Amino acid sequence: MSGRDYLGEFEHIILLALLRLDDRAYGVTVRQEIEFRTKREVSIGAVYATLDRLETKGYVKSRLGEPTPERGGRSKRFFQVTAKGVTAVSRTHRALRSMTEGLGLVRSYV
Amino acid sequence: MMSQDFSVQPPRIATWLIGLFTSDNEAEAIPGDLLEEFSHLASKAGVAIARRWYWRQTGKTITHLAGGAFRGAPWFMAAVVVGGFLLHGFLHALPDKVLSEVTNRYLAFWSSHFQAYMWVLNGMMIAHLMASLLVGCMVALAAKGREMVATVTLALVYCGMGGVAVVGAALVWVATHRPMNVAWLLACWDPFAIIMGGLIVRTRRAQGRVCLPKPLGTTGV
Repeated sequence: MSGRDYLGEFEHIILLALLRLDDRAYGVTVRQEIEFRTKREVSIGAVYATLDRLETKGYVKSRLGEPTPERGGRSKRFFQVTAKGVTAVSRTHRALRSMTEGLGLVRSYV
Repeated sequence: MMSQDFSVQPPRIATWLIGLFTSDNEAEAIPGDLLEEFSHLASKAGVAIARRWYWRQTGKTITHLAGGAFRGAPWFMAAVVVGGFLLHGFLHALPDKVLSEVTNRYLAFWSSHFQAYMWVLNGMMIAHLMASLLVGCMVALAAKGREMVATVTLALVYCGMGGVAVVGAALVWVATHRPMNVAWLLACWDPFAIIMGGLIVRTRRAQGRVCLPKPLGTTGV
């Protein structure tokens, strides 16, 4: 297994947000979910740059929704985690759990 | 919960800037997401706060999109910028060579056509700007969807070179007290002309994109 199979921190966070939001996952909800849970300001550009990277890797897929008036007639781009993405999350999760095992300070991390 | 006020619009310049840097995939989603959140924030916290938030998001978003464009195709982008640099060097030298040929050939008569000679000399600056504009257009065409990132990068290279030249000239002036030749400072307009070339191509492409039929329903990407 190569090191490339592991997710970066923000990639990991984004995939977890997509899994939480399920079929409601698009730019706004993903950004807000991350801000709400991590308490850090995230730009929409950072979200899309990471989502595009994840899509290139085959970890997520996207589709366009219907245009809505509150968006000036623009469509939402919905994202969904693929099976390959779920595997990558699990692998990274296991690696983090393995690395944090026995460390009292971060016992509750995973 | 307060209703959202859709009549309040985000800063137009910020929206325009974001439109310049978004790829075809994100051309609808990113401005739409920002507008949706802006409207929500404006009705909840006030227009001033929403506008500040929008500008902050614009700055960060453009930075990430530019970075993403480079990370997505680093060798391609480097090749486009280096190609633009070389092309600029070649095209920029052309007007000087032409003028040199003309003055060499008609040197015996140029004193009698002094005004025409001066006119041509002044026209050199315009020729240089046109060359930079052409290079900006060609770099933007080659960059395929990353027009602004490529042209801004090339312009920044020239700004950096200009900065080094200014510091160098200032140091020489301090050391020797010789009068500085500031004629080359006219080349400071070149980066603007290169970016203008990128803007022209980007705007034309965006207009073409608007003319395309919108995808109906859902589209797998």
